[in-house]
Amino acid sequence: MIKIIWRTTAAGLLSLGLAGCTVKAVGDPNRPITINANVIVDIRSLKQTATSIEDLVAQGGKK
Amino acid sequence: MKKIWFGMSVLALVAAGSLLPAEAAHYDLKNMTPAVQNAITERQDRYSELQSLKSSGAVGENNHGYVEVFSGNAGVQSVAAAENRDRKIIYQTIADQNNLGPSGFAVVETIFGEVQRDKAGAGEPIQTPDGTWIKK
Repeated sequence: MIKIIWRTTAAGLLSLGLAGCTVKAVGDPNRPITINANVIVDIRSLKQTATSIEDLVAQGGKK
Repeated sequence: MKKIWFGMSVLALVAAGSLLPAEAAHYDLKNMTPAVQNAITERQDRYSELQSLKSSGAVGENNHGYVEVFSGNAGVQSVAAAENRDRKIIYQTIADQNNLGPSGFAVVETIFGEVQRDKAGAGEPIQTPDGTWIKK
């Protein structure tokens, strides 16, 4: 009986664990972007970077 | 019985840990390579000219982070091509330095396109996410 409980619990939790490995984007929850396995694109972070670069271009271009 | 509970608790903790999203990296230019520095400098040099072309409606910002030409001579085409070449260098470097792969490169392009739309001035042509061209 104990072995059955153990096996069932382990199998269930293992399934949960594997399900938890699904790759999802974080940032804007309304725009999840799933790309390559093990890669999570933080959209907010990427947008900050993009904005910084475009600001740099604009500031340098207004010299 | 205690052993069972202890074991189950350990398994639960492991499972809970794996359910949490992996730590999201901060996507940035990790290294300012000479190619990226040159691309930024070139973009700065043509910034005013490109702004004029946008204001006149000759070029617009598409939803993939690049400029598109609507009218103008070979000079306009040349400016747009050079701008897009420099942008691609920057996008590709960000994707490469953050190990985002081809899919990630497309995400980088899209995000830059979004930023360009945000920054576009009133009346400039921009392409919305659904592909429609409008004047902002």
